[in-house]
Amino acid sequence: MSQNPSTTSTLAGTGVSIDIRNVVKTYKTMTAVDDVSLTIEPGEFLTLLGSSGSGKSTLLNIIAGFIDADSGSIEVGGKDLTKVPPYRRDLGMVFQHYALFPHMSVWDNVAFPLKRRGVAKAQVAERVQRALDVVELGHLGKRRPAQLSGGQQQRVALARAIVFQPQALLMDEPLGALDKRLREQLQLEIKRLHRELGTTFVFVTHDQEEALAMSDRIAVMRDGALVQVGTPVELYERPASRYTAEFLGESNIFTGRTHGVDDGSALVVRPEHVRLSAAGAELPSGHNALDGVVREVVYLGSGLRVEVALPDGRHLITRSEVRGALTPSPGLPVAAHWHPEHALVVRDDTAA
Amino acid sequence: MNTKLLCRGALVLLAVLTALYLVAPVFFVIPTSFNDSSFLEFPPKAFSTRWYEAYFQDPAWINATLNSLQIGVWVTILSVVLGTAAALAMVRGRYPVKALVSGLVLAPVLVPYVIIALAVYAVFLEMGLTQSVLGFVLVHTALAVPFVVINVSAALVSFDERLEMAAMSLGANRVTTFLKVTLPCIAPSVAAGALFAFITSFDEVVTSVFLAGPDLSTLPVQMWSGVRVQIDPTVAAVSTMLLLVTLALFASAGLVRLFRARRLAEAA
Repeated sequence: MSQNPSTTSTLAGTGVSIDIRNVVKTYKTMTAVDDVSLTIEPGEFLTLLGSSGSGKSTLLNIIAGFIDADSGSIEVGGKDLTKVPPYRRDLGMVFQHYALFPHMSVWDNVAFPLKRRGVAKAQVAERVQRALDVVELGHLGKRRPAQLSGGQQQRVALARAIVFQPQALLMDEPLGALDKRLREQLQLEIKRLHRELGTTFVFVTHDQEEALAMSDRIAVMRDGALVQVGTPVELYERPASRYTAEFLGESNIFTGRTHGVDDGSALVVRPEHVRLSAAGAELPSGHNALDGVVREVVYLGSGLRVEVALPDGRHLITRSEVRGALTPSPGLPVAAHWHPEHALVVRDDTAA
Repeated sequence: MNTKLLCRGALVLLAVLTALYLVAPVFFVIPTSFNDSSFLEFPPKAFSTRWYEAYFQDPAWINATLNSLQIGVWVTILSVVLGTAAALAMVRGRYPVKALVSGLVLAPVLVPYVIIALAVYAVFLEMGLTQSVLGFVLVHTALAVPFVVINVSAALVSFDERLEMAAMSLGANRVTTFLKVTLPCIAPSVAAGALFAFITSFDEVVTSVFLAGPDLSTLPVQMWSGVRVQIDPTVAAVSTMLLLVTLALFASAGLVRLFRARRLAEAA
């Protein structure tokens, strides 16, 4: 992308808030969006995160105006858009499969929203060039979409969605069709674009790493409902429920009785907080510990992922340094231990 | 190895024979049209262009040709508009009795033309629509619409609706979205449908024979009576010219496609 900040700043939008109020959408047999209320702050990068069928795409399409909610309202910048058709909502949209117009050149694709708004010809040329420069495709304007790679096509789609300075940018799994390397590269570019434009971004993904890497806030969705909304740090370090803990990052989950009572809660310990010591060795005072036997050791380059089999048949995952005090190998009896402050009691919402 | 060669040889022979069989009438019609005799004679004993002159000098032939062209153009326009709209409703629409509507729209290809012709003749006679351009256009359009529908709905099924969503998110209303995005994408199929529609009308004999009369006739009807009533070699001349026109139409369609592909390649 362009390193010239003035190029992007002239395309900068003004971040507006998006208010989602009690939105419900049901199809014949299922509730796709179940009474969701969420306020997206002006200029925020918010990610709707969930597995397939969680309702995240449906919610995005309701914001965009492609799907009518059964009830509830959508306000953008304080204006009720619930009954406004998509072409008057002034929201940019990026799709997973690019959705570039195949019969138009790259240039005409990007000029399309400007022409619909009756922008003067000279200005169209200037703004299209600027938008293409921002995504570093300024030299490919004459090409047809079919002559570009997937990554290039998605950049054209981005340029097309920002060129008219929309109130907000909606993205429906925009990196889902790209390979890992390209995906990571475009993640950085989208993040930079967000920083430089100051526009409100709503991003949909099922990839928790992508959500953690890109978002100001993440809204975790499950079965059409919001499970938890918070910053990546909040969600990772203080998940409110077992579902969030398991969906974001790896977790060791312990269920059962707390103080002898099954109160529907679970204990979450992140693998990086579990330490291994040789069986019988003295443990740091106050640590909780479980004895077990190393089952598998996976070398990750940056560290080791060790699976410890517990006597009751379950297993526990830890991450440790390659050259730690202990060199784990399969069959080695160990004590897995952690400081109680790293053990979180959360609501167990995965049952039934 | 040997059997493989043998098989291939047999296949080639079969293909050549089939092709010959299909174009055989051409080898009869073209020489006959340059025949000097007053009868349809094959092989011709002497050559002349007198039957071509006869065509251009006979107002009956010229009028029939102009009628056919006029009717054909109207049928093409009408059936493209109606057929594209019907295809949209059949592919995109969500309403009850959809299957029934599809069945009705496509019925004219299934019902024998003679039956349609008889029914239409009875009604049109009463309404005074026989021997009128309007009458011909109405019937031929009904026959041509299914061809447009079949072509266009095939294109719509494979068309990515997200392109329309993208267009709308970019500020294009439904009409603009259709004209600027959907239509250009399905244009080749619409054009193919148009060609089929024109040929359906231009070629149509069965219903036309019923509707035609001394006041208004079309080229196929004129040819038909040219053979039935008086064995007139002008028919062969007309056939030859029609053959050339059809060839030109398909060749130009092919050229357009070639030209487009080349322009795309140049942009790369």
